[in-house]
Parts: sequence; C-alpha cells; structure tokens
Amino acid sequence: MTETITMSDAKAIIENQIEELAKRNREPEWMTRIRYKALEAFEKAPHNDPVISEEQLLHFIAKPEVEGIPEKIESLDDLPPEMKALLDRLGISEVEQKYIAGLAVQTDTGVVYNQFLQEWSKKGLTVLPTEEAVRKYPEVVKQHFLRLFRVDESKLAAYHTAVWNGGIFVHIKEGLKVPFPLHLFFLIQESALAQAPHIIIIAEPNSEFHLIEGCTSPVLLRHSLHLDMTEAYFGEGSQGQLTVLQNWPEYVHTRPMTRAKIGKNARFINTTVTLGAGKSNIGDPHYWVDENGYVELNGILLGQKDYYIDLGGQMFLQGRGASGINASKSVIMDESKVITRGIITAEAPKTKGHISCDALLMSDKAVMETYPGLVSKVDDAELSHEAAIGKIREEELFYLMSRGLDEEKATQLIVKGFLEPMLKDIPMEFLVEIRRIIELAVSGGM
Amino acid sequence: MLKVENLHVSVGDKEILKGVDLEVKPGEFHVIMGPNGSGKSTLSLTIAGHPKYRVTGGRILFGGEEIHELGPDERARKGILLAFQVPPEVEGVKIIEFLQQVLVELKGIDPAKAYDVIVEKAKELWFKEEDLHRYVNVGFSGGERKRLELLQALLIEPKLLILDEPDSGVDVDSLSIISRKIEELHKNGTAILLITHYGRILEHLDRDVLTVHVMKDGRIVKTGSGELVDRIDREGFAKIFEEVGA
Ligand SMILES: Nc1ncnc2c1ncn2[C@@H]1O[C@H](COP(=O)(O)OP(=O)(O)OP(=O)(O)O)[C@@H](O)[C@H]1O
Ligand SMILES: [Mg+2]
Repeated sequence: MTETITMSDAKAIIENQIEELAKRNREPEWMTRIRYKALEAFEKAPHNDPVISEEQLLHFIAKPEVEGIPEKIESLDDLPPEMKALLDRLGISEVEQKYIAGLAVQTDTGVVYNQFLQEWSKKGLTVLPTEEAVRKYPEVVKQHFLRLFRVDESKLAAYHTAVWNGGIFVHIKEGLKVPFPLHLFFLIQESALAQAPHIIIIAEPNSEFHLIEGCTSPVLLRHSLHLDMTEAYFGEGSQGQLTVLQNWPEYVHTRPMTRAKIGKNARFINTTVTLGAGKSNIGDPHYWVDENGYVELNGILLGQKDYYIDLGGQMFLQGRGASGINASKSVIMDESKVITRGIITAEAPKTKGHISCDALLMSDKAVMETYPGLVSKVDDAELSHEAAIGKIREEELFYLMSRGLDEEKATQLIVKGFLEPMLKDIPMEFLVEIRRIIELAVSGGM
Repeated sequence: MLKVENLHVSVGDKEILKGVDLEVKPGEFHVIMGPNGSGKSTLSLTIAGHPKYRVTGGRILFGGEEIHELGPDERARKGILLAFQVPPEVEGVKIIEFLQQVLVELKGIDPAKAYDVIVEKAKELWFKEEDLHRYVNVGFSGGERKRLELLQALLIEPKLLILDEPDSGVDVDSLSIISRKIEELHKNGTAILLITHYGRILEHLDRDVLTVHVMKDGRIVKTGSGELVDRIDREGFAKIFEEVGA
C-alpha cells in the first residue's frame, strides 16, 4: 500500500461506478436510488471485520484487481502454470475448466444450461441474471431486494449494495417442483468493478428446488475481495436446498452475506462446502423461521495454509414449532484457523434448535474455536449443542494401515470418512471432485 | 517365516513383554493361550507394528528380514495380517470402499473386479451386499466385527494370519463358520497364530497340527502339542504354571 485512499476518494470512486452500472444496465431509476442511498450510508456504517481494516477496504475499493493475474485469458494455455497444473491434477473436464478460467462465462447471461431453463420457464421457473430481472420484473424485485438487509448495518453491506453487479434471480412458482438440481456458475470478468453479485431466491408456496452455486475447482479471479449477497424467501410449505461450493484462490477475501425467511412449514437446507477458503472467509447467515418451519445450515470447511474461516449463523425461531440445526465439520490443516459461532434464538413455544461442531485438527498449528450460542425467550424450547474437536485417532489409523494402506492413504480415508455424513445431499459428479480435492489437500498437493 | 527372538516390549515406562521367543514356519498352526493381561495382544500388536508398543530388546524377523523398523502398512504388504481382538470403528468409511482400496493396493485387482470378489466372499460370512455399505465396524456387534475381520483375511490371503481371540463374544453358529474359515485359510497355505481362551474354536482341528504356547506375565512359559489346549480347558492354568515353576 503506497498511496493513502481517503473516505472521500473511495466515495467518489463508488459514485463513478454507480453511474457506470446504471448506464450499462439501463437501470430503472429506483434501483439507482437504492445504490445512492447505500453510498450515503457507507461513510457512517460500522465496520468491524477482524481481518480487513477500514483502510484496507478503501484500498480494495480503489483497486479491486490483484496484480499478476493474466489480463486476457483466451484459452486454458493462458492460465498461470500452477493453476493449469492443479486443474490437470484434479482431472476436471475441459468444459468446466473453461468456466473456471472465466472463458465461457458471459456477463450478460451468466446462466449455464440454457436449454433446460427455457423448457422449465414455461412451467414457472424463472432464472435470470439479477440485472435483467430488475428490468423485466421490477415489482417482484422491489419487494425482495434488500428486504433482509439494511444498507447502514455495515460498510460491507453498504458497499455491496452500492456497486452490486451480476448474480442470479431465481423464482419458482407456486407448487412447481423442480426435480433435479440447478447448477449455476456465475462469474463476472468486469475487472474494474468490485465482485459483488446479488442473488435473489423466491420459492412460492409448496414449490421445491435445489440450487447449486459455484464449482469445486479453484476459480481464477482478478479480485481480492468478493462480496456476494443472497436473499431467499420461502413461501408456506416450500422446500429448498442451496448448496454453495467455494474454492477460492489464496489471495481472495470473501464475505458471503446470506439471509433467508422461512415460511410456515417450509424447509431450507443450506450447505456450504468451503474447499478453498481463500485468505479469509467470513460469513454470518441469518434465518428467520416461521411456524413449523425448518432450517439446516451445514458447513463443510477445509482450512489450509494460513486461511482464516469464520462461519457464524443466526437462526431466529419465530413461529411455534420452528426448528433449526447448525452443524459444521471442519478439517483444519497447516496454520489455518476455523471459528464457528452459531446462535439459535428460540422466540416461540415448542421450538427446537441444535448446534454441532466437529473438527479434525491435522497439524499442531491448526486452530479451531467454537462459540455456540443458545438463547431462549420461552420456557419450552429444546436447545442443545455439542462439539468434538480432536486429532485423527491412532487406533483407526493403525487399523487401516495394518491392511496395507500407507499413512497418506489411510489419513485420506479417515478425513473423507469424517466429512462423509455431511455430504449426503451433494450430487455424485461433485462428490467425486470434492473427494479428490480433499485427498490432494491432505497429501499436501494443493 | 516368523521368528521372534527374546522380544522385550514396553508401553510408556511399563515393560509388558519380557523376553518372548517364538517361531512360526510356513503353513504351521500355532495357538497362544494365557490368562488375561499376560501379554498376548501386546505380542500380536507388536508384530503388526502398532506404534504404541516400543521394542526395547530382541528382534522380530519375517522371511529372514528384521521388520521392527517397518510401518504397519509395509508389514501388511509383506504378508502379515492381524485380526483384531477389538476392531475399532472408522466413522464415514464404507466397508466396501475400504476393502476395494485394500485389494487394489495389495493385489493390484481393478476396483470393479474387487467389488464382485468382496460381495461374493462376504456372502460366505453371512454379510449381505447392503451390509458392506455400512461404515467400518460402526454399530457392529462384537460377533459381526469378528466376522468382518475374517472376511478381510479371506480376501487378503496373508502369509501369516494372527487372530486375536476370534471366538470371544461370538455365538455358536458364528463360531462354527469362523472356525471353518480359519481351517480353510490354513489348508490354502496361510500360517496361523491364534490367540484364544477356549479350545472350542479348535474342535474340528487335528491336535497333531497344532503347536500350543502358554503365556504368563509377558513370557512364553510352556510350549507343547495340541493336547495342551484340552488340558487347559479342563484344568485351567494353575497346574501348568506350577509344573514349569512360573
Ligand atoms: N496401550 C497400553 N497402555 C497401557 N497398558 C497396556 C497397553 N496395552 C497393554 N497394556 C497392559 O499390558 C498388559 C498385557 O495386556 P494384553 O492386552 O497384551 O493382555 P492379553 O494377554 O491380550 O489379555 P486378554 O486375554 O485380556 O486379552 C496388561 O496389563 C495391560 O493392561
Ligand atoms: Mg488380548
């Protein structure tokens, strides 16, 4: 960091970007107004990030790109050699490799599997880039954009809102059941802008869906800060799954912001698989659960190198009989640090909540901290938590090795086995890659 | 094939084996008996290479080569297999995937073929295909664990099979299948070192093929032929210990 970026410098930069986005997106005025409101809130909004200082944030705003990442990637051969080698080792198909490299991603559509989507759009499934949804369905977007966040709650929320770009709008009509997982990659290559995709999910009553976001292989980004925001709304009796696969390069800081409102009898299973956490990865998703609704947050966290992962999770059980589970399994290697701090608040009768945290420490310098929070405002809620932090048990390792598997292979088996119960809802094609990535990580090959 | 010479073993500061001598030649059938805590499991775990058991004196030779510097996996590759007295649970690791990997690594069989072989052999030990999709030993009863140990022996076909109490906690029917499978392995050329408290598992075996060792306080205090098993069954250890002055 050589020159100092002042608050007013940063605000001027943001303002320019707002103008540029408004023009590029042919944005209706109401959306641009939201951006300006966020810009106004930015200066006063609190900033309490344990890793990124305010000064650093202003720097990211002024200069979102990382140096040394190739300017133009036109074929896989243009990738940095380490990245190319890693992709080869992972054995990932060439099609997916292209997405990873950003080659096959179009800023305007950003949505893969178009043919499938066209067919389903007739039945009531809308999947659009968020910018397009703003133009096409302004009334629906207005009712769901930034309803679960406040622009002035943090600098990051304000900054995201001011310059958000990219992201996906998913709307599932009442009663529609989408029978297979929708897999969406979306990347933005507009390097002068911040990476701040905004995702809106609307599941109408009794609808069903499974959305998979991201991919298992490392994504080549030019940015050092990734700020995505997801707002999800579950109508009465709807059921949804959101599986987020993250594999960030080691220079990226990510701050995923996810919030969901879960209606009566609705169910939401939110799984995050963090294979590459990036330099730091801090998220604190919020869920508001209505009568007999259910929410599950499953975190699979792989800490490597000196990465810092902090997974929160706040569940507000607001309706009678609502329940929530916050479960994480972490494999922590090298000098990485993982913190989990779920909080479940029981605000209505007959609610149930459970927090569990399991961690496998793979080195003496790996650190795990867990701070479960259980808050009950009623007298008949059932709230519990459990935590198990430990190393690989010698007896297990010896048993597997005594069958002829070397230490590395036996360790890989145990680590995969440790995570296995949590990978139950993940489709096979990803599982194969996830397992391979874990194997590589355990044997120090990442 | 296996030669244990004046073996001393400690756990922490505590000496458990205090000079054990034992030789098992190819295709032989040896039995070790002895009271609880006399060091039988310690001997078997030490031969298999458990890192907790520190060899402080003596030697272990397998095929003429000293093995006590080798890791448990290298010993397994040389043909030693230990069926555990208390096999541990390995959470999240499916039996089938584990055994497939073992066969791929140890025998170079391809995974699809290994799958078929495992399912086939498993039936002989009363495991259904769906049982193999459970996690290794997790939630298995004592008797089921013993059968699973034997299944591994049948699949791996080691040169030397050490069985640490394959008969304890096992019902009559399971005992009979386990003892038949041990005989089958022995007939096919595997040398056996079997630890037991009771003669029942050896019921169908010709006493002439057996060599029996009796352990006490970390030493083998008597070695004899098959009839020793029946004598211990009848009389217990006291008289024998008295005779040898142990
Ligand atoms: N890991 C260990 N740590 C501490 N003490 C041990 C350990 N393993 C064995 N011992 C001790 O060594 C002695 C011999 O134990 P071992 O398990 O070898 O006996 P055993 O002959 O197999 O008995 P059993 O018939 O009950 O299985 C016992 O006193 C036991 O407590
Ligand atoms: Mg024993």
